[in-house]
Amino acid sequence: MTTAAPATTGAGPVGAAGDELVLTAWSAVTPFGLDRAEFGAGVLAGRTAVGELDREQYPGPYARAGLVPGFSAAEALGRKGTRTMDRVTALAVTAVDRLIAECGPGLLERPERVGLVLGTGHGSVQSIMDFTRDSLTGEKPYHVDPARFPNTVMNRAAGQSAIWHGIKGPNSTIAGGRLTGLLALNYAARLHRGGHCDQVICGAAEEYSVQRAWLEWAGGTGAEELGEGGTVVLLESAAGAAAAGRRPLARLLGVRFRAHQGPGTAGAALTACVRAALERAGRSAEEVRLVAPLGGDEEWDAVVEALGGAAPRRLDCRPLTGDTAAAATSLQLAAVLASVERGELSEGQLALVTGTDRDGQVGCAVLGV
Amino acid sequence: MDEVDEARRAPHRVVITGLGVVTSIGIGVPEFLAGLRSGRSAVKPITAFDTAGFAYSNGCGIEDFDPADWIKTVDPQELGRAAQFSVAAARMAAADAGLAPADLRDRRVLVSVGTTDGESRDLDELIERQLAEGPEALDPVVARRATAGLLSASVVRELELVDAEAVTIPTACAAGNYAIGSGYDAIRAGEVEVVLAGGADAICRKTFTGFYRLGTIAPEVCQPFDRDRKGILTGEGAGILLMESLESALRRGARIYAEVLGYGLNCDAHHPVAPDRDSLARCIELAHRNAGVEPGQVDFISAHGTGTKANDVTEAGAIRQVFAEPPPTVSVKGMLGHTMGAASALASAACALAITEGFIPPTVNHRETDEECGLDPVPNHARTADVRVVQNNALAFGGNNAVLILGRYGPE
Repeated sequence: MTTAAPATTGAGPVGAAGDELVLTAWSAVTPFGLDRAEFGAGVLAGRTAVGELDREQYPGPYARAGLVPGFSAAEALGRKGTRTMDRVTALAVTAVDRLIAECGPGLLERPERVGLVLGTGHGSVQSIMDFTRDSLTGEKPYHVDPARFPNTVMNRAAGQSAIWHGIKGPNSTIAGGRLTGLLALNYAARLHRGGHCDQVICGAAEEYSVQRAWLEWAGGTGAEELGEGGTVVLLESAAGAAAAGRRPLARLLGVRFRAHQGPGTAGAALTACVRAALERAGRSAEEVRLVAPLGGDEEWDAVVEALGGAAPRRLDCRPLTGDTAAAATSLQLAAVLASVERGELSEGQLALVTGTDRDGQVGCAVLGV
Repeated sequence: MDEVDEARRAPHRVVITGLGVVTSIGIGVPEFLAGLRSGRSAVKPITAFDTAGFAYSNGCGIEDFDPADWIKTVDPQELGRAAQFSVAAARMAAADAGLAPADLRDRRVLVSVGTTDGESRDLDELIERQLAEGPEALDPVVARRATAGLLSASVVRELELVDAEAVTIPTACAAGNYAIGSGYDAIRAGEVEVVLAGGADAICRKTFTGFYRLGTIAPEVCQPFDRDRKGILTGEGAGILLMESLESALRRGARIYAEVLGYGLNCDAHHPVAPDRDSLARCIELAHRNAGVEPGQVDFISAHGTGTKANDVTEAGAIRQVFAEPPPTVSVKGMLGHTMGAASALASAACALAITEGFIPPTVNHRETDEECGLDPVPNHARTADVRVVQNNALAFGGNNAVLILGRYGPE
């Protein structure tokens, strides 16, 4: 299928509009390990992956964090091409690598029709601030390593993932605090419906670094332990998945956002958001059997309120991995897929991924089995 | 009133009905337009950070921007400079479209803001303080606001929107076109009713230093497509476009600057910083196909045109590959400098004004056109022209290309 030239000006690309979007593959590089099976087993068992930090390697305000065990760019990807690769880029490249390995080379048969949408918080604040530090402390202000300059630009992880794997479709980077993963998913769905690609590899990555830890600590997000990870899913049309022989794990029935005006109003906003998402998907609250929330009990209560008091299973990630910030809602989506793979949802049942961000936004994704 | 249709319904046409611009050649549409017409330039020494030790440090900073003039709901101190720019530009765009914040509150809105550096200027300031006083001394207010998501989320807060989605798109120097393109898709599919989309960035030490080290900062002025061009000048600002469906604009009798005809995106997947001619040519072809235009219909091209040796010759090569006879090809970066994530958004605003006002903005600081580029850059003086279709190119680190096509709306 190609995007045929439309007859009239402004008709736009001919895409898969109206065709159902499905998720057919996923990978997760997390504090549980490089393998998604390890993530699934850990999250579904409610086991924590937060551990003591090596204080020599990671001085700073926190003694504990959820680190991807033994992870480094060179360890995960080999020495070639990783000398100047920073941690968040390596997490992203590795997550994409593992997804492509699972799907096989057929996924990139037409690389210009495969998109990549990757969420980030603010790129690598460690890379950015190290670069400025070198400018401030060197003999000359321009005595900086030019090979590290691209690490200071926030689309580095997405761009490098494309270069590493030869992915030539749209390559977009998305940021939106702790809702980044949901925003990336919605952007990817929009990109697909707009006809700009046939498959989208979509997810988010966040690194643990000493500098990020200091910023989180100073910014007053509390004493919460931090985590890191990279996870991506493969989003495509049901027809495209069938043609490629990939079995849908879940259908993407909608992603919705809403503004809140600060603490105290977020719950009501999320309740309205979940209701709107279900209504637009044409589905009912009783069908929701699983919810992966970002936040704590206030968020959970708001979701339960939207579901009319129904009590779906609650699947928490954040207490187990630490606060993975920009990757958080992507990890929640991965947790839902792990649950689906284990057969915990049956046909016709729904799962929600929800989130409340301190910067004034709530969000919700509706997934169907 | 629920205007939102199902995605499977017939696509909507998408029009631009409001512009908000914060630039070094003028804040607000009238000043910006006057600057574009007269070929204004605002080159001056950078004052955003201490430039001691650099042999040269000209830039295109904004000196007459007072956030309090524009930002009414949010405390400007809670925003970094890039977010201040994006919020101010979004307010302007809504007002320019004749929509009060209250009008937007009962509509479903997407706010989509592109950026290269987010609040890296704050990160510069934080690391400087950290070096002097230790990390325990980091300013909590600055640490809290130094995040890219606030460039879009703060617009929602400022306008007190309700049914809104705020997304920041940090796809570097092509980010503005990415943000506008995604907004176009959202309206076209009937997903949202109003989009505020564009880009914002603030001059910072980090990015100036990186480009300086790469040898791509011009010592004096930016001279796109000139034989003696010496590189970019870093600039700052924001451009936000208010977009809505054609039906919506017609129903409320809004002034229509231009119609968004379509866009194309692709990725070279080849080199982290060097552009790729063939890949860019494919992106231009993709944009033409998606917009339903032929090369011969394009009246002028607003180029990425950074003024570096590599960009301009590669971009010109790609244009000549697609166009048998390239139309006039200009770069507003001569006037504005390279405003990074705001660049293609401000260029889009310039294209929309060019369509409405019937002129082609000039490429300033131009002495002698590089024969290797082989284009008509409309040197130094704006040209009166009947502009129906404009192409706006954007390239970014990571091999990311984004080409947007705008057209004149009107009974033909």
